[in-house]
Amino acid sequence: MKEETVVSLKGAKKTFRDFWLRPTVNAVDGLDLEVRRGEVFGLLGPNGSGKSTTIKMILGLLDPTSGKVEMFGRPPRSLEARSRLGYLPELSYLHPFLTARETLMYYGGLCGLSRGEASRRADQLLSMVKLQDVANRPVGGFSKGMARRVALASALVGRPELLVLDEPTSGLDPVSTKEVKTLVKALAKNGMTILMTSHLLADAEDVCDRVMILDHGKSVAEGEVAELGESLEDFFLAKVGNADEFVLADFLS
Amino acid sequence: MSSFWRIFSLEITAAVRSKSLVLLLVASVAWMFAAPLLFVGDGTIEGARAISVHYSLGGVAALLTISILASATGAIARERAEKRLQLTLVRPVRYTVVAFAKIMALAAIGALVLAVASVVEACRSDLSRPCRHVLSPVMPTPREEALVMYEAFMGDPSTPAKVRKAKKSVVLRLLAQRSLDRYDTVATNDTLRWTFKSKGPLPDDGLSVRLRFTNAYDIRDEVRGELRLRVGDSTWSGSVSNITQAVVEIPLKRISSISESVTDAELAFCNTGRSALMLRPRRDVNLLVPADGFGWNLIRAYLELVAMVSLIAAIGVFLGAGLGRPVAIFTATVALAVSEMSPSVIEQYPDELETDRIDAIGLYITRAAAEVTHPISSIEPLARLSEDACVERREVARTVLVNVVIAPLVLAVLAALLIPRKVEN
Repeated sequence: MKEETVVSLKGAKKTFRDFWLRPTVNAVDGLDLEVRRGEVFGLLGPNGSGKSTTIKMILGLLDPTSGKVEMFGRPPRSLEARSRLGYLPELSYLHPFLTARETLMYYGGLCGLSRGEASRRADQLLSMVKLQDVANRPVGGFSKGMARRVALASALVGRPELLVLDEPTSGLDPVSTKEVKTLVKALAKNGMTILMTSHLLADAEDVCDRVMILDHGKSVAEGEVAELGESLEDFFLAKVGNADEFVLADFLS
Repeated sequence: MSSFWRIFSLEITAAVRSKSLVLLLVASVAWMFAAPLLFVGDGTIEGARAISVHYSLGGVAALLTISILASATGAIARERAEKRLQLTLVRPVRYTVVAFAKIMALAAIGALVLAVASVVEACRSDLSRPCRHVLSPVMPTPREEALVMYEAFMGDPSTPAKVRKAKKSVVLRLLAQRSLDRYDTVATNDTLRWTFKSKGPLPDDGLSVRLRFTNAYDIRDEVRGELRLRVGDSTWSGSVSNITQAVVEIPLKRISSISESVTDAELAFCNTGRSALMLRPRRDVNLLVPADGFGWNLIRAYLELVAMVSLIAAIGVFLGAGLGRPVAIFTATVALAVSEMSPSVIEQYPDELETDRIDAIGLYITRAAAEVTHPISSIEPLARLSEDACVERREVARTVLVNVVIAPLVLAVLAALLIPRKVEN
């Protein structure tokens, strides 16, 4: 593995099976992927294309059926790899009875920060996501956008080198969406590696350096956004093929 | 270690803020006061004590068993269903730590509720009331005795061919069961002797012998006899005269006193009644030696109950790691019912040679279930507490070590193996 490679998938395949171990679906089918240090990498594709499964294999939440998945040159489940990772899931999944501050302190603690360090980091991040005024309110009462910002802050609490964002702007209003995009760019500028999935192609176009388009678990295109030559949306629809199906899937999602 | 405390305190915080801990405490305290009003005793002090301990404290233990089991099965399973678990699993924390911290948090909640209930019990009890070590005669284990009986059994030409063909392990198990109920018969003017091993020198006062007469044959005739306990050159004696009681306690008086450091005591019972007597040494004969007070006994019983709750929490978390929550709760409830029922099923139907093949399979499964659930079903400190029988320190230490440390650690390791597999689905 090259020094600058942060995430690497080689021939990764994931087949889901039923109770009798009969294969039901090939969610990811022999995928090769490489995310380099310091870049913002976008994983795009319609619903069911294998984006979430790919992300889960990278995070160590799923084992590949075959092939190899590595993060920082190590198996994704190794403690060292996980200590350099931050993750924002598609929905926030916060503990509703914890306050915003306690949430960050909790995840900071899991990342190995001392109490004092976690407290300082929590204050810093709450101010960054503009939630310092509601820091001591239980997150169960937060709006979706506020909860999303807490989740983003908790993904950053351990000062990760790799940030995995699953639909980071989902559920956010246009202002918050813009703020998240600005934040992603700023983090990338500071050297953080970012791997994100998105349905919103405009978002990917704005922040990603490179993208990969997945369809039926396979890569159908990969390259630098600037080199794709046409609008990402047109390129995407051309590659995925069935525009109507995609629009319907996007609408339903 | 920091991760352990974070997850531990998260579980405690969840219990406090969801008000489930407060509800559990209120329900427990309310039950402690309500039970003595709801259950009517037989008018004796012993009856009132049995209600106070068995129904009040026992009711709280039962309430905790159900609620801790429900919480434990959800500790991982619900977090997984709500997809919150993945946020923990992507952090640099060992899965074993995740499971163990959750088990310990639930055990701590159980310990707190039991502590409050025990304080209520302590407040209305005489803490200085003495309790006794209950010593049984020193005998070979039922298994050892069964091995000896087996040889004699198989050498006896009258042993049925069906038994001869049976598996040795099956026959040994049945003989071991029978040896538990083996009777020693003592004819008129005859003497039976049993040996006891005490933990230290016996005191001058407060010793007594408990005899159980469980069959109607004994109760119809007056039981008369003389008891004599010898430790080295020291001797205690007592007289038995009983016509109606199923259980009698005969106080022993010291009749010769020499300072002894010997711990082997020989108890002799001379039957001076008109009829022969039958006594099961493993069940019907005990030497009662004074121990400390009810207060200390309550603390030891409390520790055993905490150990039981801890094991239940560990089993619940383990099941929740590998199964969906509804299935985990169902499985845990069935296991709990089996742990309670299987010993009596086995006792009622000990002889599978006399049953058909289907019954034999059923008994085999029941016996296996009883074996697996033995660590929970065998913890019953409340029975001893209500009888003022000492909950022994060594037994408490062993139960705490196994149920609070070893079993939860092992189950946490197993849960850690299941967590990533279940996340896949």
